[in-house]
Amino acid sequence: MTPTLPAGSDGAAEQRLLLADSVADFTTRGTDIARVRRLRGTPQEYDRATWGRMAALGWLGILVPERYGGLGLGLGEMAVVAKGLARALTPEPLAATAVLAATALAAGDNDALKRDELPLLVSGESQPALAWQEEAGVLDPAAIQTRAVPFEGGYRLSGTKRFISGAAQADAFLVSAQTSDGIVLLWLPRATAGAGVALEPLADGRSFGTLRLQDALVPKGRVVASGPVAAESLARAFDHGAAIASAELLGVMERSLEMSLDYLKTRVQFGKPIGAFQALQHRAVDLHIQKELAGAVLEEALAALDRGPDAATRAQLASRAKARCADAALKITREAIQLHGAIGFTDDYDAGLYLKRALTLAAWLGHPVWHRRRYARLAAGVAA
Amino acid sequence: MSAAAADRDYNALSEDDFRREVRAFVEAEYPPHLRYILHRARWREMKDWWRKLDAKGWIAPNWPREWGGMALDAGKMVIYLEELERHGVARPPDQGITQVGPLIMRFGTGAQQEHYLPRTRSGEYIWCQGYSEPNAGSDLASLQTAAVLEGDHFVVNGQKIWTSLADDATHIYLLARTDRQAKKQQGISFLLVDLKTPGITLRSIRNLAGHEEFCHVFFDNVRVPRANLVGALHDGWTVAKALLGFERLGIGSPRRPQYALNRLEAVARAKGLLDDPGFLDRYIALRLDIEDGAALYGRFVEQVKRGEPLGPDVSMLKIWTMETWQRLTELLIEAGAEQGVIAGVQDAGGVEADFLNPFYYSRPATIYGGSSEIQRNILAKYVLKLPS
Repeated sequence: MTPTLPAGSDGAAEQRLLLADSVADFTTRGTDIARVRRLRGTPQEYDRATWGRMAALGWLGILVPERYGGLGLGLGEMAVVAKGLARALTPEPLAATAVLAATALAAGDNDALKRDELPLLVSGESQPALAWQEEAGVLDPAAIQTRAVPFEGGYRLSGTKRFISGAAQADAFLVSAQTSDGIVLLWLPRATAGAGVALEPLADGRSFGTLRLQDALVPKGRVVASGPVAAESLARAFDHGAAIASAELLGVMERSLEMSLDYLKTRVQFGKPIGAFQALQHRAVDLHIQKELAGAVLEEALAALDRGPDAATRAQLASRAKARCADAALKITREAIQLHGAIGFTDDYDAGLYLKRALTLAAWLGHPVWHRRRYARLAAGVAA
Repeated sequence: MSAAAADRDYNALSEDDFRREVRAFVEAEYPPHLRYILHRARWREMKDWWRKLDAKGWIAPNWPREWGGMALDAGKMVIYLEELERHGVARPPDQGITQVGPLIMRFGTGAQQEHYLPRTRSGEYIWCQGYSEPNAGSDLASLQTAAVLEGDHFVVNGQKIWTSLADDATHIYLLARTDRQAKKQQGISFLLVDLKTPGITLRSIRNLAGHEEFCHVFFDNVRVPRANLVGALHDGWTVAKALLGFERLGIGSPRRPQYALNRLEAVARAKGLLDDPGFLDRYIALRLDIEDGAALYGRFVEQVKRGEPLGPDVSMLKIWTMETWQRLTELLIEAGAEQGVIAGVQDAGGVEADFLNPFYYSRPATIYGGSSEIQRNILAKYVLKLPS
């Protein structure tokens, strides 16, 4: 059952254990559920000081190459942090910024921009977000209407981007747009004239941003990538983002199932703990199997992704992981409500928070059905 | 009492005529902004509608005419409920009409009937149910709230939880333990309590949808007149149990998932999802689950119309309807994709839909009114007669 170990060595394995310890320590001391509840539904969405502490621990730079101030580690390491933080439901935009935005920027070919912006991302001073999607359920980076019209000094951007994660306090956006020569990816500071951000509240208390652009000017020096490089940057960011969202889903389902199991062991009805009833034991076992499947698929996918596969393999790996992790997390967190009974339906009890995070993560970056479809298209021998 | 109600024998009408009359009234008089609302309706929203129904003599379809009801037979009763559901009429805080009123008629004293029934019908008294406790949910008979007889009063101490709309209510009907020595179901009594009585505190509980629809009710040396005991002392379990039949038919109504089904179809059409064979298959499977459930429901309705009591097998209706409803709301969220997890009404391809609230509201449907687990136990034990 053990999947192929990641490119790495005992050193890498040891590093991940240390990382996991440091995340556990952080979630014990640096965040708690009261903080998470306080931030729910607020316009700031997360806490910049906590973000700064995450930066100080090096986590925002895990995927950023060392020459731009990062740690130059892999998705395996990022997944350890993402899973651990998701267990505590932290609202900080780790996947949105340190995975999606960081990957898209780093995969571009504007070295000067990378030298300027990646160190600020790593240090937490600047929190950028990736703005590529425009229509619900449409995830192809090329299926966009936003236009970038060239002028002497750069581009004039017009269009509407939606479903932007990490938009609440974003300092800048990486915006994709159509030109007559294909897709471009542009760096746009939030305060740019002609750019406006609105927030839509999500089930889990965070938000999606909508970025409206009307003749927003982007100088040439802020072109992250163009043409095939831009397309590959976006595709890579999406797949890596989906893999890390899967790690977050795994963290959510793990903690949710632990809570359900604790409840089955302690809640007494009809003179015994309800976990003594065989019907509930079997349900708990089925949920456990789902969690184990999700963990195994994710581990295998992360290891393969860190070996740098071709784009089609990468997409397949990400889709397989996201489909399983999202379905398993949804099942486990929904069942948590049922297993807890009425208390599970209250806002005071944390089971609902895990369900809502699972819902949000499952819908973000492609829901399970979308990912299975993509997998089918890519899998050799399976007609699409 | 409304003259209209007392004078008319609705059961003499043909089913079609009666249905037409109900439909016309509901369509003309029910406030449009309260159709298919996605929260439990509050008294302040529903009181005008209540009064309109009462003025017409229609607030208590199940009550006999001597108490201002419509005295509908089972067939007409089903039509009445169907027409209200079909139009998306919200359920007012009606436990006085559906629950405690009929119990007072059956088990109450003449004085209790004279006092409570007219006030309950008019909406002067609004009732909530005090059954569940923090440690007595599925195992209701393990309840611990105590009522100790001191002279001509019971002194009540304890707490009730998951009391729906207690903050809208004026009165609570309560199961309390009056004999600590007796075994479980014995030693429980059924009491009527004015919520203004000193010693009662309410604390509202916020639910998953962010609404405060149920309450925690605390009783601290609450003095309840002995005259408020319904049925015999220590025999409250018999009183409470007398109701569960028709309620379980209603709770298994295949129209319950209507909003979700209707929105799912509209969203799917607007977004072209029905052209996708994979989606179409899942959508149709769910729709047939509901339609086939309606066929099953129809059998129980026929049974009720024939005047036969509902047996334990009616539990299957609640399991099937509620679990289907839940799966439907899950597909609705998926159909919304990213919009499916944004709170509030969304514009999805030109169609308005609230994706999250149907999902939230279907969650406790397999918990309240006897959880799916308890319903399955009932079927296994009393229908399949499996050994325990």
